[in-house]
Amino acid sequence: AHNESPPCYMLQVDEFRFLLDCGWDEDFSMEFIKEIKRHAHQIDAILLTYPDHIHLGALPYLIGKGILNCPIYATIPVYKMGQMFMYDLYQSRHNTEDFNVFTLDDVDVAFDKIVQLKYSQTVHLKGKGHGIQITPLPAGHMLGGTIWKIIKDGEEEIVYAVDYNHKKERHLNGCVLENISRPSLMITDAFNATYVQSRRRARDEQLLTTILQTMRNDGNVLVAVDTAGRMLELAQLLDQMWRNAESGLSPYSLALLNNVSFNVVEFAKSQVEWMSDKIMRSFEEARNNPFHFKHVKLCHNLAELARIPEPKVVLASVPDLQCGFSRDLFLAWCGSPKNSIILTNRTSPGTLARWLIDNPENKTVTMDIRRRVKLEGAELDDYLRKRKNKEQEELRIKNEQKRELEDESSDESETEMDTDAQTVTSKGKHDLMMKSEGKSRTGFFKQAKKSYPMFPFSEEKLKWDDYGEIIRPEDYTIIDVPQTDEDSSAENVKKQDSAIQDLSEVPTKCVAATVTLDINANIQYIDFEGRSDGESIKKILSQIKPRQLILVRATTEATEALAEYCRKNEGVVQGKIFLPHIGEVVDVTRESHIFQVRLRDYVVSALEFAKAKETELAWIDGILDMSRGKVDTGAMYDAEEGELTEEKARKIQDGVLNGEEDPMEVVPTVEALPHNQFVGHKAVFINEPKLSDFKLVLLQEGISAEFIAGVLICNNNVAVRRNEAGRIQLEGTICEDFFKIRQILYSQYAIV
Amino acid sequence: MAKSGDTVVPADESDNLLIRPLGSGQEVGRSCHLLEFKGKKIMLDCGIHPGLNGFASLPFLDLVEVAEVDLLLISHFHLDHCGALPYFLEKTQFKGRCFMTHASKAIYRWLLSDYVKVSNIATEDMLYTESDIENSMDKIETINFHQEVEVNGIKFWCYTAGHVLGAAMFMIEIAGVRVLYTGDFSRQEDRHLMAAEIPRIHPDVVIIESTYGTHIHEKREDREARFTGLVHDIVSRGGRCLIPVFALGRAQELLLILDEYWSNHPELHDIPIYYASSLAKKCMSVYQTYINAMNEKIRRQINISNPFVFKHISNLKSMEHFEDIGPSVVLASPGMMQSGLSRELFESWCTDKRNGCIIAGYCVEGTLAKHILSEPDEIMTMTGQKLPLKCSVDYISFSAHTDYKQTSEFLRALKPAHVVLVHGEQNEMSRLKAALIREYEDDTEYQMNVHNPKNTVAVELHFRGEKMAKVVGSLAAEKPKQDQRISGILVKRNFNYHIVAPADLSNYTDLAMSTVTQRLSIAYTGTVALLKYYLTQLSSDIEHIEKADKPTLRIFKSVFLIIEPKMVVIEWIANPVTDMYADAVVTVVLRAESDPMPQKSVPPPLLVDKSHVQECLLEMLTDMFGSEGISKMIRNNMVTVTVDEKIATVNVDSLEVRCDDEELQQVLLTAIKNLYQAIAPVKQAG
Repeated sequence: AHNESPPCYMLQVDEFRFLLDCGWDEDFSMEFIKEIKRHAHQIDAILLTYPDHIHLGALPYLIGKGILNCPIYATIPVYKMGQMFMYDLYQSRHNTEDFNVFTLDDVDVAFDKIVQLKYSQTVHLKGKGHGIQITPLPAGHMLGGTIWKIIKDGEEEIVYAVDYNHKKERHLNGCVLENISRPSLMITDAFNATYVQSRRRARDEQLLTTILQTMRNDGNVLVAVDTAGRMLELAQLLDQMWRNAESGLSPYSLALLNNVSFNVVEFAKSQVEWMSDKIMRSFEEARNNPFHFKHVKLCHNLAELARIPEPKVVLASVPDLQCGFSRDLFLAWCGSPKNSIILTNRTSPGTLARWLIDNPENKTVTMDIRRRVKLEGAELDDYLRKRKNKEQEELRIKNEQKRELEDESSDESETEMDTDAQTVTSKGKHDLMMKSEGKSRTGFFKQAKKSYPMFPFSEEKLKWDDYGEIIRPEDYTIIDVPQTDEDSSAENVKKQDSAIQDLSEVPTKCVAATVTLDINANIQYIDFEGRSDGESIKKILSQIKPRQLILVRATTEATEALAEYCRKNEGVVQGKIFLPHIGEVVDVTRESHIFQVRLRDYVVSALEFAKAKETELAWIDGILDMSRGKVDTGAMYDAEEGELTEEKARKIQDGVLNGEEDPMEVVPTVEALPHNQFVGHKAVFINEPKLSDFKLVLLQEGISAEFIAGVLICNNNVAVRRNEAGRIQLEGTICEDFFKIRQILYSQYAIV
Repeated sequence: MAKSGDTVVPADESDNLLIRPLGSGQEVGRSCHLLEFKGKKIMLDCGIHPGLNGFASLPFLDLVEVAEVDLLLISHFHLDHCGALPYFLEKTQFKGRCFMTHASKAIYRWLLSDYVKVSNIATEDMLYTESDIENSMDKIETINFHQEVEVNGIKFWCYTAGHVLGAAMFMIEIAGVRVLYTGDFSRQEDRHLMAAEIPRIHPDVVIIESTYGTHIHEKREDREARFTGLVHDIVSRGGRCLIPVFALGRAQELLLILDEYWSNHPELHDIPIYYASSLAKKCMSVYQTYINAMNEKIRRQINISNPFVFKHISNLKSMEHFEDIGPSVVLASPGMMQSGLSRELFESWCTDKRNGCIIAGYCVEGTLAKHILSEPDEIMTMTGQKLPLKCSVDYISFSAHTDYKQTSEFLRALKPAHVVLVHGEQNEMSRLKAALIREYEDDTEYQMNVHNPKNTVAVELHFRGEKMAKVVGSLAAEKPKQDQRISGILVKRNFNYHIVAPADLSNYTDLAMSTVTQRLSIAYTGTVALLKYYLTQLSSDIEHIEKADKPTLRIFKSVFLIIEPKMVVIEWIANPVTDMYADAVVTVVLRAESDPMPQKSVPPPLLVDKSHVQECLLEMLTDMFGSEGISKMIRNNMVTVTVDEKIATVNVDSLEVRCDDEELQQVLLTAIKNLYQAIAPVKQAG
């Protein structure tokens, strides 16, 4: 909160503690985890909203390392795609550095703990959380995206909604926040509170023209996207553009590049029921699956990509350019003015992508290049040796080189990180066991056939060439200097490592180099984040009217702006607005008292109900009878009686604060009051009719009515107005109309 | 536990739950049931009878006020469960909402247009056309498994039912009473489908299918082994293997089995497998897509490759594309070989004893499939010729309907109070009913009521309306106590009751309290003094205040009378009581206006003094009891009354009555009270 760090909040409902989301930033800083660790043992359940690492990144670490052990709730797409996100992230990191924050096994362990849900499926928690229900609702943004509704005792409603998107998109419906009304507490983000979005059509057009221009100039386009979330929307959009014969794009190539692209598309195909109405309809009626791409070619590594003829548009992960194929391609392509680089997401501050968005005029960037190379160092040796070992390929650790770009000048903390990374490198921590494990895991989830082309040796060689070719036009002299450093460090590592190395495996090491690159390519930021913008967030909030509001995950300005809006507009938030800082605990306890009573049939049938909207209301006077709680249960419920009463009794216990609970399971019964005790009550008018609606009613009754300066004048002698306090005032001289109109006005209310 | 005919206690009409089969009551086909409870009407399934044509095949929809049906739930895509849906949605007054699962909806569209195409009946008999089906698609909403939906206070959600892809069991909850409709279900997990779930929530009523009555199925492994063994035998002896199947549902299961078997037996790779159905081909993409509705095995398999992308099986467009040159396996529809491709193939193959035919599904009497199971020597072709039957014929049931073992287990887990049997032939149904009742014969704890209604005959169940309300907000601030008085607004919404204090209303509902103020102006030209004189006659409770610098009178503490030149304005906050006060004030004002009494002679405000009261009291007592019984003198403000030798003393000052006889005391008290109220001006009530 108060900054843009990944969401991860703890919510305590009575004794039950939820962890809402479990995100981690791009650099996996341990600082962030520490806080969670402290509370980890208390957490009873985790609710996930989206499948990207911002929302569930810390999960593999926390679960895999045994810090957390509790059920996790998520929708099926979040489960599937989340796994893809983590695999891809791991793979991208692993390709360039020794990444041992978590392993692929940790990912599997973590995701095995997930309880997969459907939208609107209500889960009644057991044990400590008895009486609490959780329900996932569609949120848009990403496939399977969730707004969580937590209901306690059927009354207190807590809504956790972040990063939702109310607009319909190509592949997703908007969120259903409109249907939520007056929750007791709403937790939402103010990320976009001050952000203005251009219209979708404008953004689509911008994307199209950028691509088209670059293509015509024979340049390549890199679109940095995530693994399986927003990527689907973009891939579908681009595929549609390519299908459109008039777009003129058909001669060019379109490729999707990430470590798990085949699986992601397969999963997307099988999740049509989670997508937009339009997609569903087209599938039902014409069996068109939108993710049956005609033009998008799926690639799993740079070698596959190299086979696709240029000029090409490449959708590559990850969006922040901190690692992965997008970083490789950025490095390769940013030097040429012909190329274009399109960023689609404002990632966390400190990442390369964010820096590029925030500093569009900057033309040079100094960064850190990291890659994984064979210890043999010399290219030729390496080549020969690989030839020899070709038959042992499956044992070989992949040898992809990556460069990690860091901007040193802009951020202090980044330099720190860099040195961190470098010390790791020079220590040469090579856990070979882990690596071979990683390899076999990869084989497993990639499913042999498709993933196999990822690692064969001959292609790696190709990549080497690729790299060489591309690096040359750039600052060759600068890169040369660190090269020597690299070599020496490589030697060190080799010595350290050789002792523990298995002969059949080719040892690798990670090297880092700092390079300054000129950015000549055209860099554009086109928003495909799929989040509601500030204006809509405000509108939605004023519709929902939460009784209390907690604002999280946004810059201080944005948070303040939204809070200010809510305070100014009366009625948006009735209760308090909280703007917690990280680690701050907000107490939103409400005195909620609930107990349940049994209504006697004769009591209810004697009531006169008045209707208002969809509800029926009546005044009830009664007296509680505690004695007959259990005696008078319908025979119908015999089978489940025990269970039922227990539940009710518990509810009483929860509701009444500090109340000593009667050991007897008693549900009080409302009996009618004896007649002599009957006391009158003040009549209550319920409902808030609108004057404009009332006008229509009057007109239907044959009474002329019109607004003059906000006052409804009826038959020229009776005035109906609403004064400042919101009261309706009926005014007129004594005449028949007055009483007639009064009668009609009364009929607009439920009077009890 | 009142059943129909329980006349002793006439139950409140709305507490009766009616389940009326409009089809498939003691028969198989045209499933359609109407559920009525608390004024809500829900229709379950809307199928046609496959054995009948045109309007005769419809369920008895004319018995229902179609326009009143709130909700229609379709369990799965088989014709006998959704065949009448386009008719119902497009050609009737139905205005409610219709739900089915995603997979059902996707297949429904193709299945029905295929049905329209192949049904060779006159156009006037056609229930609906292709375009009706297309239009109906817009009216069908989809529901995911376990997703809870609420329509008009009817809450429902569905569980997987096995049987076919997308088959659902619906749990419906109205006002706390839960009804489970199973549709067709199977508790046996197969290649691609999950077994039907056992709901964790206990329903009060279960409407359950009874197709297989008391039969018990062969174990899955056994029948699969028998099936693949048979196929293997037939093709290895050089024969052609015909498997007549219904295009969707079981066919996909058999294809999965065959594809796997072929993968494991490389020696069979030269022998082609065909499925000859354009419908199955069309719907294959649905099977390839809705993986999430299938079982764990398939969902894991998709990580590797889509199991519905077959490696050894190809599609056969029509007979013309079929090169019948050697051993092959063909799955062809229709399943009972009434006509079409399966019939054609059978007729051309049945004369060779190397060939074989495997019947894999449920067969209806009168079809060729049922006929050949009796192993006749000859069969009749479509053209009327006789052909010798030499090929082997085998029957392996792959039908995914529940058997007795599954049904019994299912019900034992759910323990519903009532079971309604549907979708089964009369004999099977009564056998099942008897068996179920026998099972719980000796059980003292739990009794199951089994019903097997005929078409159009309703089962009437009575549910005691035990209403639970939640007391929330400030009313519930304290722990409930014996004899604590509770008074607030009862809010009833979709059968949920809440009791709240008026001030809390806006917190717990989207309703709000509001107030209406009224200002009524009346022309008044008389003097203030006159008005006041009359008002004091009305009420003793008049105060002078200044409101907005104008002289104002407050009457009854709630009605303001603002005096302006030439008129008065009466202002009050509306509620029934103040409205009445205001009306009284209005009358007084009008009276004062019309009173010609000159300004000077306004009498002083009438005061109710004691002597006046005493006079009146004595007068009354004399009237009541005669002058003899009343003491002539008033001593110490006391009057004695003697009636029938009973003596009462009345204090004329404080109006107290003392008497030994209660009856007399009561009479006197009432009389005196009434008298006083009649004389004195009205005081603020309450």
